Amino acid sequence: MAQLREIWEHRELAVALGMREVRVRYKHTLLGIGWAVALPLALMVVFTFVFQRVAQVATPGIPYAVYAYIGLVPWQFHASVLNTASRSLVDNRNLVTKVYFPREVLPLSCVLSAAVDFAVAALLLGGLMAWYGVAPGWGLLLVPVVLLVQLAMALGCALWVAAANLLYRDVQYLLQVGVLLWMFGSSVVYPIPATGPLGWLAWVNPMTPILDAYRGLIAGGRFGFDAPFWAAAGISLLVLVTGAAWFRRVEPVFGELA
Amino acid sequence: MSEPAVVFDHVWKRFSKGRRARTLAELVYRLPRRLLERADAGGLRDGEFWALKDVSFEVEKGEMLGIVGANGAGKSTVLKLLFRILRPERGQVTTRGRVGGLIELGAGFHPYLTGRENVFINGAILGMRMAEIRRKYDSIVEFAGIPEFMDMPVKDYSSGMFARLAFAVAAHAEPDVLLVDEVLAVGDTAFQLKCYDAMARKRKQGTTVLLVSHNMYALAAASRVMYLRSGDSRACGEPKATIAQYLDELERPHEQHPMEVEGGTSERITGVELLDAHGQPVRGLLPGEALHVRFHYALARPVESPIFAMTLLYNDTRYSLRQPTGQYLVHLNSGTAFSGRVFRGVGCVEVTAPAVHAPVGLYRAKSYLFERDGLSPLHVRDGVGELEILRPEWSDQQALVDLRQYWRVAEAVENTKGSVQP
Repeated sequence: MAQLREIWEHRELAVALGMREVRVRYKHTLLGIGWAVALPLALMVVFTFVFQRVAQVATPGIPYAVYAYIGLVPWQFHASVLNTASRSLVDNRNLVTKVYFPREVLPLSCVLSAAVDFAVAALLLGGLMAWYGVAPGWGLLLVPVVLLVQLAMALGCALWVAAANLLYRDVQYLLQVGVLLWMFGSSVVYPIPATGPLGWLAWVNPMTPILDAYRGLIAGGRFGFDAPFWAAAGISLLVLVTGAAWFRRVEPVFGELA
Repeated sequence: MSEPAVVFDHVWKRFSKGRRARTLAELVYRLPRRLLERADAGGLRDGEFWALKDVSFEVEKGEMLGIVGANGAGKSTVLKLLFRILRPERGQVTTRGRVGGLIELGAGFHPYLTGRENVFINGAILGMRMAEIRRKYDSIVEFAGIPEFMDMPVKDYSSGMFARLAFAVAAHAEPDVLLVDEVLAVGDTAFQLKCYDAMARKRKQGTTVLLVSHNMYALAAASRVMYLRSGDSRACGEPKATIAQYLDELERPHEQHPMEVEGGTSERITGVELLDAHGQPVRGLLPGEALHVRFHYALARPVESPIFAMTLLYNDTRYSLRQPTGQYLVHLNSGTAFSGRVFRGVGCVEVTAPAVHAPVGLYRAKSYLFERDGLSPLHVRDGVGELEILRPEWSDQQALVDLRQYWRVAEAVENTKGSVQP
């Protein structure tokens, strides 16, 4: 509880650091924040070509482009959190070894800066759905629930990888492969069936139910959540709680290791 | 009586000399040894040492505690423990109120962001609220004195501008306990004065101050001074007495062995003799006395127009409050004296400085050998000799420059009849 209060007292610092990250990321670029849209859009075009024209993947009820975009934007958020958070304590060495504030602020600021890109990229979705003639349903109202679960998952992972990478710098390299594997093990650009030989993947990996929930609620005309989603919510919460607890446990040595 | 602002209760802090595994591969390789290894009676494993040993002190609200000690004595560790950057192995550190510090200037400054943007980030890092920074923004800019550069990225700032802005932000944070590590005050004198000035002002407002410093004058202003030596608190009390003890216990620098700094073995200065006016080896000179220096050289190939030079580096930690050690204070240079001549084989050259006017203290000699242009040295060697400029009985010489001077009684202003005969 004390941990939460201390972090809350430093919320402005988290926002300031998150904004610093966003500003720095798009300084000296022509497109600026437009890159937040351009990147997932470009990926969508690539994957649409690969999985619709070449591999002919079926995405029942949703045009493939919309399917991929709704998968890619939240996934980009997740991947970006993992990558920036893993380096957050190491890159801010001069802060960690010189100034005190609750260290959770650093991974938290990574979540915030990635969330800015997420929000900007999500704006384009409306246009994309109109273009493909997909009408949003009442499920849209439930999207904040999915968002919360994803945020919990992202923050939990951020805490884990940030602390782990400070202890052993291998983590940031393992992550490069790990994130790619994780992406292809989730329903980012193609569906992962909940049945069949790889069915267990959809249950243990919270990203698949989270992404499927976004799609179902936004473009699939669904209203409500299935069992895998609740499992994902449980796992996300577990990752967050254990991540926060572990982060606190190893935090005392940060000043010496950074 | 109110509770103390800072309490250090039997604090122990252990460091290791970089033995901890940083990668998984290292961990696998070290794990077996780590498990077998037992800590010794003092609780230390191989390669570990106590940076602080059972240090206790309290600082009342509004008090100023100075901390003095040689490099590596544990001064900065004390500040980092107070700042909660480090945690003690044993004992307890308690602070009351917001702890802030002038430990690192410009923490979180990002080169690509403008001065304005950095003020807000840096302020937030120093514990200020956004509203507070907005309120103080104009005052910060005024203090820094660079209003026209606030919208420029700080990567284009001069280092002076950077320091001014960073310090302006730090000076506007209002911690209850202010930690100052003087290492940051290596800037120019004006900057240091500003730093002390801000510190004094904060103290007047009731801020508790902890100051780590080598500057005896700054420390004398403290209400108490703690003297650390290799992690032990040797004394803590009245500033003058504690500082005196510290200066007393400082050892004279050890006998130095010459150290090659640059160059090979084929063209070199093999030795330097420091002699007095009578050609006798000398270790101590009074200011103004003559110094005779003999350079021995060994040159495997012919060297045209060589230049011999020697500098005396200030090497006295006893008086480090006057000059930083390592400063080049005396310089002898043969310049164009051997221009056009070719030297070869073994031999020596001599130079006489009729009067050495240098501040009192210990010096270390460093020799140089250049060829013709004098741009890149053939050979540089440090620690080739030692010299002490002695304190004359009649003087308490403290200045950096001692001018060659001629005194006489000026007739024009001399009104009395009985003028002094020279």
